[in-house]
Amino acid sequence: MPVLRQDLHILTGAYAVDAIHDESERGRFERHLRRCKPCDSEVRGLGSTAARLGLAASRPPPPQMRGRVLAAVARTRQLPPVTDHHSLRGARPGRIPRLTWAVAAVSLAAILVLAVAVFRVQHQLNQARSENRAIAAVLAAPDARAVTKVTSVGGTATVVFSLGRHSMIFTSAGLPPLSSGRVYELWLIGPPRIRPAGLLAVGPAGRSVPVLAGGVVRGDQVGLTVEPAGGTRQPTTTPVLVVPLPS
Amino acid sequence: MRPVGLGTGLPEGRDLDGLLTLVARGDESAFASLYDQLAGPVYGLVRRVVRDPAQSEEVAQEVLLEVWRAASRFNASRGSAVTWVMTIAHRRAVDRVRSAVAAAEREQKTSWLLAARDEVAETVEASLERERVRRCLDGLTDLQRESVTLAYYGGYSYREVAGLLGAALGTVKTRIRDGLIRLRDCMGVT
Repeated sequence: MPVLRQDLHILTGAYAVDAIHDESERGRFERHLRRCKPCDSEVRGLGSTAARLGLAASRPPPPQMRGRVLAAVARTRQLPPVTDHHSLRGARPGRIPRLTWAVAAVSLAAILVLAVAVFRVQHQLNQARSENRAIAAVLAAPDARAVTKVTSVGGTATVVFSLGRHSMIFTSAGLPPLSSGRVYELWLIGPPRIRPAGLLAVGPAGRSVPVLAGGVVRGDQVGLTVEPAGGTRQPTTTPVLVVPLPS
Repeated sequence: MRPVGLGTGLPEGRDLDGLLTLVARGDESAFASLYDQLAGPVYGLVRRVVRDPAQSEEVAQEVLLEVWRAASRFNASRGSAVTWVMTIAHRRAVDRVRSAVAAAEREQKTSWLLAARDEVAETVEASLERERVRRCLDGLTDLQRESVTLAYYGGYSYREVAGLLGAALGTVKTRIRDGLIRLRDCMGVT
């Protein structure tokens, strides 16, 4: 239908500035591009134009970044060239999994993870004991409340929280198991920022080990996302669960 | 001697295409030269979209490592090396903003809108490129300019831009396109 095609053609601009966020719509447009030579060359021209807007935003990078990137480069294998490609934008690269970067980069994060692991081993026993006490304390708090919600991938989650104690306990049952290399990560989502609140250890029956998180403030929401093993500092996927904590 | 920053003008297009070809063959010193020319533009663009300095640094590092990793996929017949790198940078920055926004259920929409508007005014900097881009942006209608800058610097989808501007979807799609076309003609992009 000509009307539809024209409508698609108008999307060249939005496509060039990555403003088509709906994946099925973007897929439809990319299929159209493959058949429409003028649209394709228009997208390229508008893409170069957008890049110029990007150049105008140039600013000096943090000085420590150079060493980090070059160190990561030294230990990262490159992709082979595409020999038989129908790739639409030719140069469009695949996305590297975050984990690859994390492994490759000599980053503060990696050192922190290591430090935390060592810390955990040393304090495993004490921690378990004191955590049980802390969980009991939240449950016994005079303002403790519980919220139960079904997640978008199935299973239920219960959050018991006490604003007085700035703490919450997260438990769940029936969450689907994840492939190895993925993990459920908890977040405290506040108006100022999102903080990681721990990883879920899900047992065989889909029941998770209770997670205790501190630093809960009024207005926080509890979120759950699926992340690469080891967790991330900020969520990278859409939450499967968001629980507002009513005050 | 390393070129200092990238405050003035464009990186040399032809040199960068050649450097990227060497990088694809595993030449680390070519990558270091590429870094010196493109780290500023990459970091600056990511920072403009993502805003948080720590996250911007993380995303910029991912982008530059991706340039190293995927250099063999660069195809000079489809555009310049600069465009290729800036396209990766923009896409990654938008990805980061979108995942954060989704998680926070878009609470901070208003402040991001205001921020995107402020930043447009801040582009009045000394460099020639900035000056030229600013002049070309000035040549757009208000709706074109706001549609293009909210989508590009703000990292919004055209649907979100329509919502923010209170305009119809079709209007915003058209304004982003004809705004970019006018910018293209103004900047003399080939």
